[in-house]
Amino acid sequence: MLTPKQNMLEVIRGGNPDRFVNQYEAVQLLFHPFMFSSPLLQPGQENVVNAWGVTNTFPKGVPGAFPVHTPDKIVVKDIEDWREYVHAPSLKFPQEQWDMLKAQYDAVDGEQAFKAVFVAPGLFEQTHHLCEITNALMYYITNEDEMHDLVKYLTEWELELAEGICSHLHPDTLFHHDDWGGLDSTFMSPAMFDEFFLEPYKQIYGYYHSHGVDLVIHHSDSYAATLVPSMIEMGIDVWQGCMETNNIPELIKKYGGKISFMGGIENRAVDFEGWTDENCEAVVRRVCEECGNKYFIPCIAQGGPGSVYPGVYMSIANAIDKLNEEKYGIKVAESTRLPWQIMF
Amino acid sequence: MSKIDEVAALVEKGKAKLVGAAVQAALDEGADPVTILNEGMIKTMGIVGDKFKNGEIFVPEMLVAARAMKKGVEVLKPHLASGSTGALGKVIIATVAGDLHDIGKNLVAMMIESAGFEVIDLGVDVSAAKVLEAYKENPDTKIIALSALLTTTMPALKDTVAAINESEFRDKVKVMVGGAPITQEFADEIGADGYSDDAASAASLAKKLVAA
Repeated sequence: MLTPKQNMLEVIRGGNPDRFVNQYEAVQLLFHPFMFSSPLLQPGQENVVNAWGVTNTFPKGVPGAFPVHTPDKIVVKDIEDWREYVHAPSLKFPQEQWDMLKAQYDAVDGEQAFKAVFVAPGLFEQTHHLCEITNALMYYITNEDEMHDLVKYLTEWELELAEGICSHLHPDTLFHHDDWGGLDSTFMSPAMFDEFFLEPYKQIYGYYHSHGVDLVIHHSDSYAATLVPSMIEMGIDVWQGCMETNNIPELIKKYGGKISFMGGIENRAVDFEGWTDENCEAVVRRVCEECGNKYFIPCIAQGGPGSVYPGVYMSIANAIDKLNEEKYGIKVAESTRLPWQIMF
Repeated sequence: MSKIDEVAALVEKGKAKLVGAAVQAALDEGADPVTILNEGMIKTMGIVGDKFKNGEIFVPEMLVAARAMKKGVEVLKPHLASGSTGALGKVIIATVAGDLHDIGKNLVAMMIESAGFEVIDLGVDVSAAKVLEAYKENPDTKIIALSALLTTTMPALKDTVAAINESEFRDKVKVMVGGAPITQEFADEIGADGYSDDAASAASLAKKLVAA
């Protein structure tokens, strides 16, 4: 039996996986020091200002924190003078902090799972966190030059972060968030997306790839099928969060071998009040049947292990294990994989 | 190209800085203000909505078109009889309690406003009590439009619609709902009058609901 990591590599490379990869079982998400100077909010925390000056709130019972954009809390008051408002936080951290985190990377059994550094938000998300989403989307048309400059500024910051991460922590995988669309459309046209984000992400993902990172997993739980050629060009190896609205079987046929798709199990299909094991299993069976185990990893769409309603994530995991036993005759003992990580 | 066509072209392209002057030019030439509004703007936003629905344009293009129309209406307003710009009636719109998503709700608000309604936007994370209160302050409201983008806030949407359904004014107002996890079946189940799956369809639905 292959280890979870070996199996995931076979899936991505179009080799001979011996079963379905079970969600995030082969990806251990790990941190970098900036996450401690601008921490992710915990459920129930309200109006917390992060290191970029963005105010966030995490109401109980929702999947994640949201930026608060009442007029007084929008960071960029005037896009033409964005430099007056946007001040990149420092990325200088004491060696002890890097060392403490490095120990966590070293503690992960690299035979079992990828050591993935978690980076969020991405470039597009950061622009709308700073400007407010309606404003940001309009600025991409009305203030093209300023938005190019802002994206460049954010890219330079991300590259500095990447340098610190790669030289101190040596992850073999990057798990990078940036939501590029809604349920059935991208936020912007592929042409506009390429104009603003293709080169910046080529730089960022190119840096990681050339500094010891084997896999770039990009999270966007959205429709983004029309952006897949750009994702490939950027150097994304796995698109996590791929929703069913993208027609995953079609994407696998078209792009399998160049990129893999991780998702298919949308929160709205399984993760709701009154959820049941039976429904989770039915969704898992349908999605796995449709997509197969080459270039596809069945996974909850949200950008990290867990679910909004406690129990849903493990219910999906159990259903995938059950399917692996039925379909491939492989019973995965818990001792053969790392303990389940549940972050959300 | 007539002056009204120029207004229409500028609205469609989202040229907010130029549209005011084009509206003024059309007025100076003697064009009827109501025709400028209906032909130059509302009809154009209908076209913009269709293009969005068909995937020919995306959210940014739709937003700048709506903003351009708003600029044009500012110039036009003094020349219109009171109430002409919101002639189809008032719509109260909100994202329900616990849900901070605003882009979908904002798009719907813009498209509904562009279709000729007056929009009262209550914002995000709005309780059922606040929705009822807003209606009581605006008893001539024709539609209450509610959005939920999370499976976790679907119960809040259900509760808000239930509160409206139990109110004494239920027969005077239509309720429409939307958001990523919402379906026609869910809308029917909770007792809403209408559901739409995108902003352009929401504007058409609103017109249909008030005509019914």
